[in-house]
Amino acid sequence: MSDRFDSFFGQALAILFALGLGALVILTVDESPMRVLVTLLNGAFGSPERIAGTLLQTTPILICGIAACISFRAGLFNIGIEGQLFMGGFWATWVGFSFNLPPALHLLLAMAAAVFAGMAWIAIPAFFRARYKTNEVVSTILANYVAILITSYLTINWFKRSGGQSETPPIFESAYLPELFSFSRLNWGLIIGLALALAVHFFFTRTSRGYAISEMGANPKFAEYGGIDIKKQTFLVLIASGAVGGMAGGVEALGVHHRFMEGFAPGFGFDGVIAALLANGNPIGTIFTALFFGALRSGSLLLEVDTTASREIITVIQALIILAVSAQITIRRKASDSTAGERRWKF
Amino acid sequence: MEVLERLLNVTLVIATIRTTAPILLVALGGSFTTKAGIFNIGLEGQMLVGAFFAVIGTIATGSPWLGVLCGIAAALTLALIFALLVVSFKANEVVVGLALNILAGGLTVSLMKAIFGTRGSIFGHGLVGLPALKLPNVKDLGWFGQMISGYTPLVYAAFILVPVLILFYNRTRLGLYIRVVGEKPEAAEALGISITRIRYVSSLLCGLLAGLAGAHLALGYTTMFTENMSSGRGFMAVAILIFSNGDPLKILLGCLLFGFSDALSLRLQTLGISSYLVLAVPYLVALIALFALSYRSRPRVIQETLASMGRALSVKSNTVKPAAATDASKP
Amino acid sequence: MSLAIELKSITKRFGSFVANEDVNLAVESGKIHAIIGENGAGKTTLMNVLFGLLQPDEGEIWIDGEKKSLPNPAAAIAAGIGMVHQHFKLVPSLTVAENVFLGMEIRKGGLIDHAAQIKKTAELSKQFGLQVDPNERVGLLSVGIEQRIEILKVLARGARIIILDEPTAVLTPQESRELFQTLRGFVAQGMTVIFISHHLEEVMEVSDNVSVLRLGKNVASRPTAELTKSDLVQLMVGRLVSFDRLPRTPTAGKTMLEVEDLWCRDDRQLQALRGVSFGVRAGEIVGIAGVAGNGQTELAEVLSGLRPSSHGAIRLDGRAITGLTARDIRAAGVGHVPGDRLVRGVDRNASIAQNILMGRQDKSPWSKHGIIDRGYLQEQTQTLIKRFDIRAQGPQSTAKSLSGGNIQKIVLAREFTGGGNCLLIDQPTRGVDIGAQEQIHGEIMRQRDAGKAILVISVQLDELIRLADRILVMFGGTIMGEISGDRVDEEEIGMLMAGVIPEPRSNTVGAA
Repeated sequence: MSDRFDSFFGQALAILFALGLGALVILTVDESPMRVLVTLLNGAFGSPERIAGTLLQTTPILICGIAACISFRAGLFNIGIEGQLFMGGFWATWVGFSFNLPPALHLLLAMAAAVFAGMAWIAIPAFFRARYKTNEVVSTILANYVAILITSYLTINWFKRSGGQSETPPIFESAYLPELFSFSRLNWGLIIGLALALAVHFFFTRTSRGYAISEMGANPKFAEYGGIDIKKQTFLVLIASGAVGGMAGGVEALGVHHRFMEGFAPGFGFDGVIAALLANGNPIGTIFTALFFGALRSGSLLLEVDTTASREIITVIQALIILAVSAQITIRRKASDSTAGERRWKF
Repeated sequence: MEVLERLLNVTLVIATIRTTAPILLVALGGSFTTKAGIFNIGLEGQMLVGAFFAVIGTIATGSPWLGVLCGIAAALTLALIFALLVVSFKANEVVVGLALNILAGGLTVSLMKAIFGTRGSIFGHGLVGLPALKLPNVKDLGWFGQMISGYTPLVYAAFILVPVLILFYNRTRLGLYIRVVGEKPEAAEALGISITRIRYVSSLLCGLLAGLAGAHLALGYTTMFTENMSSGRGFMAVAILIFSNGDPLKILLGCLLFGFSDALSLRLQTLGISSYLVLAVPYLVALIALFALSYRSRPRVIQETLASMGRALSVKSNTVKPAAATDASKP
Repeated sequence: MSLAIELKSITKRFGSFVANEDVNLAVESGKIHAIIGENGAGKTTLMNVLFGLLQPDEGEIWIDGEKKSLPNPAAAIAAGIGMVHQHFKLVPSLTVAENVFLGMEIRKGGLIDHAAQIKKTAELSKQFGLQVDPNERVGLLSVGIEQRIEILKVLARGARIIILDEPTAVLTPQESRELFQTLRGFVAQGMTVIFISHHLEEVMEVSDNVSVLRLGKNVASRPTAELTKSDLVQLMVGRLVSFDRLPRTPTAGKTMLEVEDLWCRDDRQLQALRGVSFGVRAGEIVGIAGVAGNGQTELAEVLSGLRPSSHGAIRLDGRAITGLTARDIRAAGVGHVPGDRLVRGVDRNASIAQNILMGRQDKSPWSKHGIIDRGYLQEQTQTLIKRFDIRAQGPQSTAKSLSGGNIQKIVLAREFTGGGNCLLIDQPTRGVDIGAQEQIHGEIMRQRDAGKAILVISVQLDELIRLADRILVMFGGTIMGEISGDRVDEEEIGMLMAGVIPEPRSNTVGAA
């Protein structure tokens, strides 16, 4: 009990420390921290529309965060969620504008395309991680750059809307993810995200497979001794994580933009990773950290309008928070666990 | 043929040398941490702040050399935070590295907006780059002279650092200790070598070169700062470090491969191939190299297994008795 | 006769445990002095005190007739003492010369002078008859040569008194003989050698004097020539072995576990098992005795599917299980209590219930349709906590909050109730307090009486005598011999453990 309290207390102190540092940074860019805070809060929660806007920003961060949680729980790092999101978004859009299908079916197929695109995009890094222990941190990061460039290429060279700027034609309405309220683009994606969080939480705490994977993340030798097939589970976990990453792209494409364009969903994948880290890989905790980051993002839109501070200041604050709590993030991963740290001598 | 000639000529070599230099500098920096047994994913961020503060320093002082120093100081600060959290507080190196990269991205853009009121890029404002070095008497060397002259100083620095680092790892005490700490910490401990100190030193040396790489990017390779201008070079450097194991010569080879693919892809653009695909080439090369080289290590494992089985069988034929009986029959 | 080392009344305690008690030791200079004793007799502790790695609670250390205090290894090295540890600390990618001079590099103009280091290494190598190629990379060399390098490291630091901690544990017989020759060469040059071992043969062969440690005390120090092997065994084992064998009725049935000509390698790629064959019948406990590091742990790992075998066959109830995965062997009905319980046996951060679940999470009634039945798990854990008397607040207590004995009981509770008919138990009571030991032994006997085939591996001989129906003694990866549990002859076991095939019974001294 006191263990838990200590860790909570430490975490809270660390976040306060980070916010203090953030305030200092804001001061150095010649802006009042208090004014920035008020503007942020106002921007994030100032009206029902703004609250909806915050939730709209929260949705992709949450889904990406869940994708990250899945890999973290198994002691793996899928940092390529950004790329999976772009791939998922593009292929969902492609299904959305290329076919004209009955409403529910169309939406379902477009979403399935997003999920498959995400899985396909992580398949090769996942295979090499499982089979040859190829460092998945680097391979998934590099894959991000490729995904963003390839989707841009496809958009501009193959599917550019005539007369439009670098964007695809809009999807048919039959593939729209329905909106929740009339006054906002906030859509069922949020419900999907919350459901995913609960499902993943249930998976890891209540199912046999989830138990096996958690133990693999916590103590691989114990898991191996208990008869868990590490290679197979590693591959499947990364594929599942990629699937959810792709789904995040599908939700953005089908629920918000209804098309695909350059700079489709900047930084949501990374924000998701950070939200999951801050929640220490817990999907329920990720709901709250994603909301926190969503509010920061949403508030920062007003920040650029009302103050001289840039909206990237919130990225700085996010990073500072992670650094401040980094010593307490217990997600296990030793470099020695991958080829990166394998100090094998060669000639 | 004509296409090939257009692609492969002296100017391509020059372009390769130019594009290799920044990634070579940052990868050589990463070799310190790699050799010391630290997985440093934060190279990207160190390079980025290096570039930004090099530009700020140059604009503030009017001297690009003082700018370079500012860039190095900024990268060193990130390196120090990295070492503090990873070495002293035992935080997860991936988490800290990623967070520092994100911090670098946010910080540079925020400061750019705060100082210059713009987004995107900084140029002008009295920003001057590092001067190109014209080597004397190279005219006589013909195309070779053309190839080795006229770069900014940090390009030479990058290539000269390769033999310097080889010497460092093989002939200096610090270099030796860095290798020992990474490869066999128990041995270092037994000899009274402080693992903590060596890891701090490696992290800072890494920051030094990463800062230099950033400064070169902003003052030598170009004369400007652009949002996220390191554009994944730090991550590619990490990929190179994984398969080179931090050896300077292998790092050079890896970086030349990237420099070449970078230079070649820029050429491809002139042939009308989409710039998006062309820009993806270096990342793809990094990925393919990473996968191919980890796949290659596979046959070695199989070989070892076969060898050990062979040994087992040969040992068996003549050791069954010795193990059981010789000990007893000794005088 | 001058003394190189004199230890006077050394006492070293770790908490309430006394590792060395009032030990006096006199080592003559220019002689090979063997220190012999069973595992845990305090040999290594004593040497660590002498090398400055540990500080004695009481007592004095005299070196070459002078009283010294040795606060750290550097002080010991300055006093001319060098120690070759059991586990080598060499850097594989460096050359022999670089390893020898690591930490005391020869430099010229700030740069390491490789040529000089190589030359000096070659000189040392020649002077002391330790053949090495100074240019070779250590990673390519055999263990025997690695040991030579460790000895060279010590010599390069100017040691005149050399301590070797179980130097032959990792060597082949040929390599051991070469080492002995080297050691004789050292004393011929006036140096002093302290040689720690539990191999009787070697001690008899190489040493001039011998000291026997038992339970932290020096029970005898004599010239080797005055002693026989049997005397040494008697001194080592003492009269303390308890013979309170647990009562039993014969229940042995058909052979469940059969091992035939099994070979495997350890993590260092050295041969760990060399043609092991035996069988375990249902309702029978077979004990594996032996000094640690003679292949017992590897045997358990191969049998449970965690380590590949290079040759041989394993059958369970007539069915071949050689080469199956850990999962399949588990499913075939083998429970395994690992020797390294904190690494492999439990997840220390998980609750007791989560630890109990491992390996059976896919099985009904623990889970249905892939969903864990938490109620059942809770209830079963509660039952097991009671049955195995695990002292914890409840099923949700984390493993790391419990004592070593209680953690071991979690592992036993899980493995004994797995429904299999065969159990591999590696070190059932290592680090477990006496009370818990009794309980664990009782539970193992109940499993035996329930008809399971049980293999118990232990370095504690009295534990095996208590439990086993038959005892197999392992040495150097082979089974040296078999002894019936009801007619244990401690001498005979001691000899087998030391790698000696005993002479005919009539010649042994003091049979039990």
